[in-house]
Amino acid sequence: MKDFAYVAAPDVATAVRAAADAPGARFLAGGTNLVDLMRQHVERPDTVVDISRLPLTSVEETKSGGLRIGALMRNSDLAAHPLVRTRYPMLTQALLAGASAQLRNMATVGGNLLQRTRCPYFYDRATPCHKREPGTGCAAVGGFNRSHAILGTSASCVATHPSDMCVALAALDAVVEVEDVRGTRRIPLADLHRLPGDTPHLETTLAPDELITSVELPAPAAAPSRYRKVRDRASFAFALVSVAAALEVTDGTVAAVRLALGGVAPKPWRAVEAERVLTGAPATEESFRAAADAELAPAVTLDGNEFKVELARRTIVATLRDLAREGSRA
Amino acid sequence: MTGLVGRGVARVDGRAKVTGAARYAADHEIPGMLHGHLVLSTVARGEITELDTSAALALPGVVAVLTHRDLPPLRVPSFPYLKGFVPMQDTRVHHSGQPVAHVVAETPEQAREAANLVRVRYRAERPTAHLAHALDEAFLPPLFRDEPNEFVRGDAGAALEAAAVRVEQDYSSPMMHHNPIEPHSSTAVWDGNSLTLYESAQGIVFTRRVVSIAFDLPEANIRIISPYLGGGFGAKGPTWSHTLLNAAVAREVGRPVRVTLTRAQMYTMNGHRAEYRRNLRLGATREGRLTAIVDTSTAQLTRTDHGVYNTSESTLRLYDCPNVHVRQLGVRLDLPSSSYMRSPETTAHFGLETALDELAHELGVDPVELRIRNHASADPHSGEPYSSKHLLDCYRIAARAFGWARRDPRPGSMRDGNVRVGWGMATETHTFSAIQSNVELTVDVDGRATLRAATQEIGTGTYTVITQVAADELGMPLEHVTTLLGDTAYPDAALSAASATVASVIGPVSQAAQDARKAVIALAVADPRSPLHGVPAEDVVAERGYLFARGDRGRRDSYRGALARHGRPVIVTGSRLNSSGHSYGAVFVEVRFDPRLATLRVSRVVTAYDPGRVLNHRTAHGQVIGGVTWGIGFALMEHTMVDPHTARVVNPNLSTYLVPVSADTPSVESFFVDRPDKGSTALGARGFGETPGTGVPAAIGNAIFHATGRRLRDVPFTRDKLL
Ligand SMILES: Cc1cc2nc3c(=O)[nH]c(=O)nc-3n(C[C@H](O)[C@H](O)[C@H](O)COP(=O)(O)OP(=O)(O)OC[C@H]3O[C@@H](n4cnc5c(N)ncnc54)[C@H](O)[C@@H]3O)c2cc1C
Ligand code: SF4
Repeated sequence: MKDFAYVAAPDVATAVRAAADAPGARFLAGGTNLVDLMRQHVERPDTVVDISRLPLTSVEETKSGGLRIGALMRNSDLAAHPLVRTRYPMLTQALLAGASAQLRNMATVGGNLLQRTRCPYFYDRATPCHKREPGTGCAAVGGFNRSHAILGTSASCVATHPSDMCVALAALDAVVEVEDVRGTRRIPLADLHRLPGDTPHLETTLAPDELITSVELPAPAAAPSRYRKVRDRASFAFALVSVAAALEVTDGTVAAVRLALGGVAPKPWRAVEAERVLTGAPATEESFRAAADAELAPAVTLDGNEFKVELARRTIVATLRDLAREGSRA
Repeated sequence: MTGLVGRGVARVDGRAKVTGAARYAADHEIPGMLHGHLVLSTVARGEITELDTSAALALPGVVAVLTHRDLPPLRVPSFPYLKGFVPMQDTRVHHSGQPVAHVVAETPEQAREAANLVRVRYRAERPTAHLAHALDEAFLPPLFRDEPNEFVRGDAGAALEAAAVRVEQDYSSPMMHHNPIEPHSSTAVWDGNSLTLYESAQGIVFTRRVVSIAFDLPEANIRIISPYLGGGFGAKGPTWSHTLLNAAVAREVGRPVRVTLTRAQMYTMNGHRAEYRRNLRLGATREGRLTAIVDTSTAQLTRTDHGVYNTSESTLRLYDCPNVHVRQLGVRLDLPSSSYMRSPETTAHFGLETALDELAHELGVDPVELRIRNHASADPHSGEPYSSKHLLDCYRIAARAFGWARRDPRPGSMRDGNVRVGWGMATETHTFSAIQSNVELTVDVDGRATLRAATQEIGTGTYTVITQVAADELGMPLEHVTTLLGDTAYPDAALSAASATVASVIGPVSQAAQDARKAVIALAVADPRSPLHGVPAEDVVAERGYLFARGDRGRRDSYRGALARHGRPVIVTGSRLNSSGHSYGAVFVEVRFDPRLATLRVSRVVTAYDPGRVLNHRTAHGQVIGGVTWGIGFALMEHTMVDPHTARVVNPNLSTYLVPVSADTPSVESFFVDRPDKGSTALGARGFGETPGTGVPAAIGNAIFHATGRRLRDVPFTRDKLL
């Protein structure tokens, strides 16, 4: 990796100032993604602003009954936090489904939100990749694309957003709070990540020097919820497909539903279409299937990832079925 | 003899390893050493047209950037150098990830960054990367290591024609990589015309030979040091080009240089298991006696070598079938050379053991029974009798422990709620080699023994079993014997590959220890100062470091006493030949398959083996756990993806090249027949390292068939194939 200037930021003001002063700077949180990419020469920042010691590591209850989570909280601490475990079990499940214990001990909330794709071609500087080097092409389309996205893709990029945590956050309507030298703003999670379009290198709506300071969760719903991850080995692998779902059934009818998908799209994918089909529908296997079909109808597949449509369909249906059963038992 | 042999004693090097005291290849600190980093080609086929090293050279700390323009000519060694060419001798590119420049700097970080700044331009040609794209170019490769690639016994064609029952199917497996956790590292230290290499090598004697040929140096001028290996799985058996290039570079720059490969570089620098396709045709009687096997395989070769490393050994020799035709074809592709990789015969065995399961199903014969009916009680190819073989016991022991008798043979018949349960089995077998080996044993004046041999510890427990055997024969406590390995300053001994170490080294060790014991006893009984003076030597026994008169234990001397009086060490050597052969076993597997999301788990594995005499039950069981785990990887996930357009490895890291994690691996039961093979000079022990796991991929596939009625013939059996 090339030499870079290193700034250890003791507080948020220093961090955002340092980033504003050095265009192209990168924030270093747990480093589990950034350092890998620097070693692969994919990221080549001139300045690294170390934010790992910022005092943004707590979980607080908000006035509206939700939680505010500090952006530097470690994934493992967040998963184990009693308020998260009891009120947002889906988030704990999603966090624990990600990476390995060692990585979760390093990885932070902010870093997890902004982790970059695992498209293998993105990591290989000898292959064309619009995301890494706009205008060069996309090696995945005619190459190995078994792990790639089926929803929200474009001709220029078919990479997935790899996070598990973010899928749960999408289902939970999280809001991200960011700060830079100009001030602070709040971005609904759904608006944080962009679809690739013809600019796959632009992944979020953040300015390069904006720092994520916290994530806010609205008050929890009482409905049974679950995060389910399907992958190529029993642990320590990225999702082929994952589903975060909460389902409230009243008198056999879907009163409320939240559904988000991972492993299938360039961003944490809120399954809006499926939710629309389900809401008010009978809580039956048929409705679940119709909802999954509606969500997956626009899927565009490649040579290697066709199976993801069927796998996503089955995972959605199985998860909803389990939740409906759980709800009726309660 | 103190009963140490066979006991599951803990690793004698365990403490050194867990405390970090053990020095691996890249841990040796050499004063004045520089760090090298290789620049690898980004195209798979073509010509280097331009090499610009100026930006790299301008970086602080960079000492030199060497290319084909700077290196002296190196001779291309033959086996065990496999590539068929030495890189950086001309502008030709034979595969992606081939060295084109070698950067040398004061720190590893500087070298790596500078390597990234070397600009190379190519005239690229279109590569061919997959068998599927060149099958029509398949040919029968010439002899490799003096072995042909075609074997004929009887008349398989006619027998197949006449067979009452036939099975014909295609089986395939992708490229796979060894992935030892320790990356390859080589440190070259020249002193005039003498070279010392700190090396991650599974065969230091081999490495010395290759280096000697490449540099035209006498072997006596070369010393290879490799006391510990962080695994190898075959990747460190051959000597690879980074070792030669780094030594050449060190000579050019006039300082010691270390090169350590990155994980990604390990996917093109040191071999792999080749991609394979196999057509198998079995003919049998209605009673399930095999009458014909036709096994036609096609392996990925390169344009620079034609080594076939995954021979169809079990097709030829495992079952008693009178008519066999084996052809091992190959196709030249623009890829790095393949090589031996953990239990190479697994590749072919997967096809054979799956086909047998298909035959058993077709005939309605139990798969174990089918194998028993075709059991070979003499080598079917040579007709030679076995010195010992207890495979039938293995079937019986493992089947009973597994509960095989309760199996309902109908596919899909065994369920646990929504989950389908499948039981499958396969024979386990692999050849082992025996290599001329020598050891030197010194009983020092303090009465303690040191054993030296130029074999190495690959992680399987070589230090431990050698120490056990020596201590046992000497009649010393384990702690009084020190084993030193991994240095060509010691007597030449076997490489740690081809399941050869135990079979080759244990005979010489036990002989040397016996001779040393006799020599010390002779000293004692001849010495008037010894309490044993005058006792007939054959009446003296050695135990726990003491020497006793049999029947009069009051007359007692010790190694320490005898050697102290002698005043100088007793030094003996040992060397004893052994012969190669096969080890056998059986593996039974249970899978649990949930059809809803096509989730497959291997839930139970029971094995039984006949490796001759077991020298250490703990390390033997460890070998079984390792072999079975890799077998699960072969069956369910391992897969090197090679981009069809660029012939580049797409997943050169352990994040995307999946191997089993603990959650994928059930606890593994192992049983051992544990009867000495009288034909083996290694105290009756045979080579065993590569036998466990050979049957696992087929056993898993067979269990999947039993659970689901679906027959998979193309590994890895990933979820998309089961949806
Ligand atoms: C082998 C492996 C397996 C993995 N498996 C999984 C998995 O199964 N599921 C999964 O979800 N993830 C997985 N991960 C990814 C892991 O979750 C991420 O690497 C991790 O969450 C990143 O967090 P970090 O704090 O280390 O981020 P860093 O690496 O420090 O940063 C990542 C990016 O975020 C930016 N950034 C960090 N914090 C902030 C902030 N507060 N404000 C603005 N920008 C910020 C950085 O500048 C950088 O661009 C895996 C990673 C590895 C290496
Ligand atoms: S899918 Fe996206 S990230 Fe992957 S190679 Fe194509 S452009 Fe690059």
